Amino acid sequence: MKREKSKKYFWLQHLRIFSQLVFFSLFFILFLKTHYAGEDYLKTTVERYFHFDPLLALTTFIGSRLIFAALLYSGITLLLTLLFGRFVCGWVCPLGALHQFFSFIFKKTRWLRPKRDDQMSLAPKYFILIIILVASILSVNLAGYLDPLSFLYRSFSVYISPVLNQILLQSGNLAYALGLKTLGQNIGQAMGNLALNGVFQNAFLIGLIFLIALALNAWKERFWCRYLCPAGALLGLFSRFNLFKLKIDPDKCIDCHLCSIQCETNAQPYPADKWRSSECIYCDTCAAICPTGAISFPLRWQAEKIKGVDLSRRKVLLSSLTALLIAPIFKITWHRQRSYPALIRPPGALPEEEFLTKCVRCGECLKACPTNGLQPALTEAGPEGIWTPVLVPKIGYCEYYCSLCTQVCPTGAIRELTIEEKTKVKIGTAWVDRSRCLPYALGKSCIVCEEHCPVSPKAIQLIKVETLTPEGKVVSNLAPFVNVETCVGCGICENKCVVVNEPAIRVTSIGEQRSEKNRLILEISGENQP
Amino acid sequence: MDRRDFIRNLFLAGLTAKIAPQLFSQVSSTGWPELAVVQGDSPAAITKEALAALGGMKRFVKRGDKVLIKPNIGWDRTPEMAACTNPEVVKALVELALDAGAKEVIVIDHTINQPKRCYVRSGIQEAASQAGAKVLFAEDQRLKNVALKGEWLKEWEVYQDFMEVDKLINVPIAKVHSLSKVTLGMKNWLGAVGGSRNQLHQKIDQAMVDLAAFFRPALTVLDGYRILFRNGPQGGLISDTKLMKTVVAGIDPVAVDAYGATFFDYKPQDLLFLRLAQERGLGKNQLEKVKIEKRKI
Repeated sequence: MKREKSKKYFWLQHLRIFSQLVFFSLFFILFLKTHYAGEDYLKTTVERYFHFDPLLALTTFIGSRLIFAALLYSGITLLLTLLFGRFVCGWVCPLGALHQFFSFIFKKTRWLRPKRDDQMSLAPKYFILIIILVASILSVNLAGYLDPLSFLYRSFSVYISPVLNQILLQSGNLAYALGLKTLGQNIGQAMGNLALNGVFQNAFLIGLIFLIALALNAWKERFWCRYLCPAGALLGLFSRFNLFKLKIDPDKCIDCHLCSIQCETNAQPYPADKWRSSECIYCDTCAAICPTGAISFPLRWQAEKIKGVDLSRRKVLLSSLTALLIAPIFKITWHRQRSYPALIRPPGALPEEEFLTKCVRCGECLKACPTNGLQPALTEAGPEGIWTPVLVPKIGYCEYYCSLCTQVCPTGAIRELTIEEKTKVKIGTAWVDRSRCLPYALGKSCIVCEEHCPVSPKAIQLIKVETLTPEGKVVSNLAPFVNVETCVGCGICENKCVVVNEPAIRVTSIGEQRSEKNRLILEISGENQP
Repeated sequence: MDRRDFIRNLFLAGLTAKIAPQLFSQVSSTGWPELAVVQGDSPAAITKEALAALGGMKRFVKRGDKVLIKPNIGWDRTPEMAACTNPEVVKALVELALDAGAKEVIVIDHTINQPKRCYVRSGIQEAASQAGAKVLFAEDQRLKNVALKGEWLKEWEVYQDFMEVDKLINVPIAKVHSLSKVTLGMKNWLGAVGGSRNQLHQKIDQAMVDLAAFFRPALTVLDGYRILFRNGPQGGLISDTKLMKTVVAGIDPVAVDAYGATFFDYKPQDLLFLRLAQERGLGKNQLEKVKIEKRKI
């Protein structure tokens, strides 16, 4: 018998690689486009990928009991999965593409070649999914930590963006040092236009996790997709018809097992009746690699019993119970009773309880922030708020005429605002630390916070203060006095304060408009003006 | 000079311009005026007229010169907010410099808000590049510690772009400031330096003079088309601004600022930085000793 690989599936396999490349590039381009490029309102829906993610749609819906219209796009993903199986994982998912690329690289090496044994259970991702879903019933949103799109975008925002920024910076420096002024200038100007954020608190942690996720491909091919991905698990549960069904021509098959050995997701194409269709991502590797071209995926309309991963009822129940135990841990914190001072949320952020159920920690807002001020929280928002966005004025302030973070939020955790609306949103209040402020404490002149205050009339007013020096001299200077009613909490005063390490004027979340609990002045009216 | 005098002078200047143009030829025969003050409806036209009154851009820019124009692009504000230099004024200067034979015209500022935002919203990026200027963001890589040899500032980080050109043209906008009272041409040099420039506010007047003594511009053109008289230096409301429709141009940076001070009803001698600047020999702060030509178009 003639041994010949299938040409058709060779091309299909390459078409799939091309498709992955396209979707990954598109994801990256949208990532790079998420910044101010001269227009107040982004013309592209840069967060569109997230709208097609059924896991995020489902968890935010369950958690908040509200449907965010844009997330209805995910219905398309579900419908297609219902009909065709998990092809999205193999052909579309940008994180899947990345994992596959690294698996491919590792397979080429000698030492990092992933192991081929198929003993390990593929079930963990389903248990992760169950935990996430049960937690969202308890209004704890855990989806973002392992959702592939959130994971990838966040890693890009917090880790890759600073890396790219460093590369540009250093190559610019090098170019200038070598006397290549034009090149250096081009790089420098490009940096001004790209506005890549270069500093993130706990970037180390997020970057490390990202690298570990990639490194796991050296252990098992597409490790993430096989064992961890809750979105893949959800799609697995939804793959019912798999209209293109695996078929092995018994006349051609030589029982070499190559297909099962090479299967990226361990879906066991051989023997065909053991094929785990809910694990198949239609990468077409098996069909392309089959030495006799015995494997094909013909269109077959009849529904078949779905052969997926064995999830015993006991294990499902157990993981649900685990979730019931785990989820509350995230809530046991005083953050719910009393607002944390450093928890300055972006303008347009929903009230905290609602915000936490909707925020998927994707990092879109972190990328969009023009000053690098939005940072992934670590402790500011309590355990359930890890990696949610928080403004850290010491790093960057909230730009007055900017509403980008409100425009890019994929789940509506940050309500979209016009520039006009945004300039009126109060996210916190500035406080002068008179023991550190130059005019108060040292009798030196400084009005830096006042001149930077963007509201008109200024929320930082100047009063005359007299300071007694040790020599017995009285020095008179203008000193800042904050009008808590007009202060919007943007933090530019804290950011620009010359007392750099612990600024003499600091913004805390008190008085933030979105919260009733965190109110400062009971009746906001002109009469209370100091 | 109070405002009434000023307005009367403007009126008279306009009148003279209309009925006795031969008067100007007399002025030019005895040398160019030290200050040109032009009022009119078009920011571009009054800028060009001011330069014409001074004897044309060719007096300041030679063929093949590399010219750097330093407007105030500090804030993320539209021109109506009068926080940044009027884009039309900048554009007119770029055109004049290129017409005078400049090899290259650079427009640059070290902004306070996000650079791109300031460049776009101020309208300066678009206007200046339309006119053929190279509009650059200030790059931190280009900062270098330079001996300023000032009275207070011995050395500071300066953007090399300012050091690598043949001619500097300073194009500030007239605004109020709570520490130096007004911010005009001399304070505009804070946008040419890096480092922790907010610390300069501890002795702002001295810092301004030290910087002005270091960056000696070939020409200063003060944009007083729309000035900011309240909530300086960035304003935020149109009601914080006032239309003066005036441009003041001259070689003497102190005289230009002294004239700008009168927009806000300050006597130049009452302003510390103008006193210090004259003491340092940077120019004249007594306007009565300055040859001023006023025109209205």
